[in-house]
Amino acid sequence: MTLPDLALQIVYARLGWAVVAATLVTALWRGPALTRPVLAAIMAAALVAMALPGELSPAWWLGLAFQYPSGLLVGCCALRLFERWHGIRRSRAMPHTLAGVLVVCGTLLYLDTFGLLARGFYYAGFWPVLTPLVAVLGAAACALAIVRGHARSPAAAMLGAIALFALLRLPTGNLWDAMLDPLLCGWAVFTLAASALRKSGRRATDPVAGTPESPRAPVMQPAPVEQFSSVKE
Amino acid sequence: MSEPGVPNVSAGFPPLERMEISRINRSRTGHWTVLACALIVLLVLGAEALRWSRAAHAAARPSMGSIGPAARATLTELSHTHIPAPQGMPSAHASALTPLAGDGMLAFWWAGSRESGPDVKVFASRWHNGAWSAPWIVASRESLGKELGFGVRRIGNPVAWTDRSGKVHVYVVATGLGGWAAARIAHIVSSDSGATFAVRRVLPTSPLFNTSALVRTSPVALSDGGWWLPVYFEIGNKYPMLMAFDADGNPTSLARIGHSTSTLQPAIVPVSASEVRALMRDDSEQMRVQHASSRDGGASWKDLPALDLPNKSTSVAAIRLTSGQFLMLHNHIAAGGSDRNLLRLSISDDMRSWRTVADIAKGPAGDEFSYPTMQQVGNELHITYTWQRQNIAHHRYKITLGESI
Repeated sequence: MTLPDLALQIVYARLGWAVVAATLVTALWRGPALTRPVLAAIMAAALVAMALPGELSPAWWLGLAFQYPSGLLVGCCALRLFERWHGIRRSRAMPHTLAGVLVVCGTLLYLDTFGLLARGFYYAGFWPVLTPLVAVLGAAACALAIVRGHARSPAAAMLGAIALFALLRLPTGNLWDAMLDPLLCGWAVFTLAASALRKSGRRATDPVAGTPESPRAPVMQPAPVEQFSSVKE
Repeated sequence: MSEPGVPNVSAGFPPLERMEISRINRSRTGHWTVLACALIVLLVLGAEALRWSRAAHAAARPSMGSIGPAARATLTELSHTHIPAPQGMPSAHASALTPLAGDGMLAFWWAGSRESGPDVKVFASRWHNGAWSAPWIVASRESLGKELGFGVRRIGNPVAWTDRSGKVHVYVVATGLGGWAAARIAHIVSSDSGATFAVRRVLPTSPLFNTSALVRTSPVALSDGGWWLPVYFEIGNKYPMLMAFDADGNPTSLARIGHSTSTLQPAIVPVSASEVRALMRDDSEQMRVQHASSRDGGASWKDLPALDLPNKSTSVAAIRLTSGQFLMLHNHIAAGGSDRNLLRLSISDDMRSWRTVADIAKGPAGDEFSYPTMQQVGNELHITYTWQRQNIAHHRYKITLGESI
């Protein structure tokens, strides 16, 4: 078990909470369009607010309640800010696969923590051999996914969280705390629930979709567009 | 389409050249991505390999210290007194003891206007030449918050340990947002025999915003100079844990004791180099002192049947004397009594059968003599406990070997 220095944790907490807070503000933003200057102002304001001393800093109160955000939460939030910066409307920061994995892992971890499973999952995040091995394999898998172009965005966020853990042991020295926290788990639950609601809403408004047995009436389909180029390969 | 953030250098070229330049750009970006990913993976691998090569790989066993062949011991009371209370602090609770070099000793406890009050602080007093010094402040929510960089809502139980180099380690319950179930454990260290302390860190004990871990009972020495810190969890279910530290005071492992969900505040006692027992406060309807054992030096634990001693959710203390016998302080429940009005000292040869040595403190139903702690310092046994939630009482006994108690 190697734990991070307190000074590093303090710096991480301020930067991490600034990223999370800026993401939250942009998600709840109902003002003028989120142009790059507006985004930059929000991020700068979050950084300045977190850097304030003592009780003046929101990091003081966020730390009181939540201590530190997980590396993956900070990574996903940074990714969301990056997407907004580049005007990408459809976010890939929390894809359904990642959300599903986080919800399953979170459920098991928290049931164990509440004493209902008694498997010691959280303690395994400190193990001296297995944990570093998982971190190295996880980093390699994420790197491979990025290079091959599979789920690049979440893979990049995960690689960042693992690197932060492996190099500096942030945020707490436990691999679980690098990859998961209750806020991130809540985000994952929200993503899945919102998706399920959207699907059920579509079924409700589309009577055909809910009855697969009924023969589907022929509908006009757009003709496939033939891809062609005048340039010979 | 060009990658976001990559300047489009192909603008102004005819279509064929534009496509070629775009392909080259993508290829360049791809190369950089591969390089960056490979570098990060190598850094991760290197950092973990370096850390692994430097780590100690064998778990330390409990130290048997200077425990000699089994012998009977006699306890003779030498004195009893109250540790001087800080002025204007009517409530006091949860004392802890740690020996210093020579025959010195430090006591720690919390005091304030009331339990969980904003003015509650951890105080210390030094035992020297047969008397307690005036108390001084060791930690408050302001001092902890200032050093941790985030807020602390309330202060609770302290637990203390003196390492081989003479540094005093104190573990203080410091809550986040909520009651005791939102507790965290702050680790503070003194290099000047308790005069001043610096925060080392908050111990990571739980994935739930690192909350609901508390300390109460005394640490146990390990053979490599490290120690075990008994910890417990208490949101809804309650269960005991054990955090191991190396000789420098860095945590090395964390594990749960047994499978029970209604026991807390484990008092750990080594029986041999491989066998360890835990006596625990019971929060179940069984209302008996709970019991668990480990036969592999604390790596895994098994719940044992409860002792035939009553326990209405009150803290116990246990040690092994250098004579080899086991002592336990616990609240006995006599007919007409209440949960904490009788504090009893019991002795055992095997940790199963216990007989009464003395009733250390007793009063009418509703009185409180609770949260005991004891330390053997040389040939003296020191006991402290909460006296009526107002003071910390201290009893001192002389231990004589060779006679029965």
